[in-house]
Amino acid sequence: CKNGPGTGVANSLPRHEPFEQAPMYVAVMTYLGYGLVTLFGYFRDFLRAVGLEKCHVAQERSEQKDFVPLYQDFENFYNRNLYMRVRDNWNRPICSLPGPVFDLMERISDDYNWTFRFTGRTIPNVINVGSYNYLGFAENNVDFLKTVAEKTQEYGVGVCSTRQEIANLSLHQELEQLVANFLGLESSMAFGMGFATNSMNIPALVGKGCLILSDELNHTSLILGARLSGATIRVFKHNNMHSLEKMLREAICSGQPRTHRPWKKILIMVEGIYSMEGSVVRLPEILALKKKYKAYLYLDEAHSIGAVGPTGRGVTELFNVNAADVDIMMGTFTKSFGACGGYIAGKKVLVDYIRRHSHSAIYATAMSPPVTEQVIRAMKCIMGQDGGDEGIRRVRQLAENTRYFRARLKEMGFIIYGNDDSPVVPILLYMPAKVVAFAREMLRRKIGVVVVGFPATPITEARARFCLSAAHTRPMLDQVRLLRPLRLHNCGCFLSMPITISQR
Amino acid sequence: MALGDCWKQLSWFYYQYLLVTALYMLEPWERTVFNSLLISVAAMAVYTGYVFVPQHIMAILNYFEVVQ
Repeated sequence: CKNGPGTGVANSLPRHEPFEQAPMYVAVMTYLGYGLVTLFGYFRDFLRAVGLEKCHVAQERSEQKDFVPLYQDFENFYNRNLYMRVRDNWNRPICSLPGPVFDLMERISDDYNWTFRFTGRTIPNVINVGSYNYLGFAENNVDFLKTVAEKTQEYGVGVCSTRQEIANLSLHQELEQLVANFLGLESSMAFGMGFATNSMNIPALVGKGCLILSDELNHTSLILGARLSGATIRVFKHNNMHSLEKMLREAICSGQPRTHRPWKKILIMVEGIYSMEGSVVRLPEILALKKKYKAYLYLDEAHSIGAVGPTGRGVTELFNVNAADVDIMMGTFTKSFGACGGYIAGKKVLVDYIRRHSHSAIYATAMSPPVTEQVIRAMKCIMGQDGGDEGIRRVRQLAENTRYFRARLKEMGFIIYGNDDSPVVPILLYMPAKVVAFAREMLRRKIGVVVVGFPATPITEARARFCLSAAHTRPMLDQVRLLRPLRLHNCGCFLSMPITISQR
Repeated sequence: MALGDCWKQLSWFYYQYLLVTALYMLEPWERTVFNSLLISVAAMAVYTGYVFVPQHIMAILNYFEVVQ
């Protein structure tokens, strides 16, 4: 047999990533539902304009009536008439740490969610499947936090300056060395805010005359950074390698618009795990494309660092590729490490350049010492350097929780997006009223979920998103999946979900 | 007992109807307005059927010469 040696791309296991379409009647019902609420929205706006109903939102003054209207666009209409009706499901105040269980403050509204008041009671021990707490490091166990307390006593809490001026603590350098060792790269730099890591560093890397090829579903921080940089942005279809290759070829052949000069740089921006879908990037194929067309790759591992891979090193370990192949590895400490901030890692030349040229490095306040020490201790725990196997136990527990939860949900017949290994599990609910009812009923049953609707997702694909954690135990997961609006056959259930095609 | 079960089943159907048509998100008076509109349209359709369907059926049967 003369097939020859296989490439790395072909050998990687084909990951099962369905993006199932809903049945047609579901889509029709969703549009009908939105249409009905929109009609009632117009009716209520009419009542407010005529004066039959008190207007609770901001309005222009009568002297401004001849100017361009401020509140007539769709976003404000949506806000007034759809979001305000049901906004008790978002921004719920929490009064404990966001661990596997947490306490919520009870609040009720007397005038259909225009104003809230607290009753003074708390709802204790609500199971938390909404926080990004993948490895369970959001904890207040005194033994684990001893080093954090010591460093706070030594360095205080405020740094009172920027990295370039006088707040370059030895703690920051220790953190950066540790991050570089963790990822297996030459060097890294840590920033105080994860969003700012993306939005402030991309302008330092690319500028006018460069091309950015960004995935359809990239996060707002990447989009903002790309827009601020002034480079040309082209969007390729989500995880679609044909679309990306076609764009690369077209870009290289025709060059910059109008002048047709060659592009200075082509940067491909992707994320490790996409937080709204739970899908994982096709890394080996992108690396092959990048090498073939000599482009650069910016990988945003906000959700995947610490959460995927056998030892928690992220998508590069999941696909067994060399981390040095990715030109710019970015990640955040918010999700898996229980702290806040972000990092950029790569070759020493790159990181030194960013240290001198990025807005965030020069002007933003440095990371606070307790937060830095929390990241250091979490990373040491995962790497096993603190002498125990707590870290690796957590990584394995998360992988097991993910597999169990996803398998059971598929068995029950829900439509779930995303890769089987990703701890972010979005369940599609489609209809706006179901989304709202789901959130309320889950809270009544003491489970706190995050539901997402229109501006963050396409208008017909509203969903509930579960974020699993290593701190969830098997009984907790069972409670979540069994207490759900489920069981299409049982007339006791109350939210019949569209079932997957495979179960018909 | 059977009446209780029947009532529970009907409530469940009404709840599903509220969810699917997004009436769940509206205030009670808006639900009343929409339900009355829907019921009046349906009632008018039924009444029209009651008045005109016999005539239509006789005309069709006449056309196909089943009855003179």
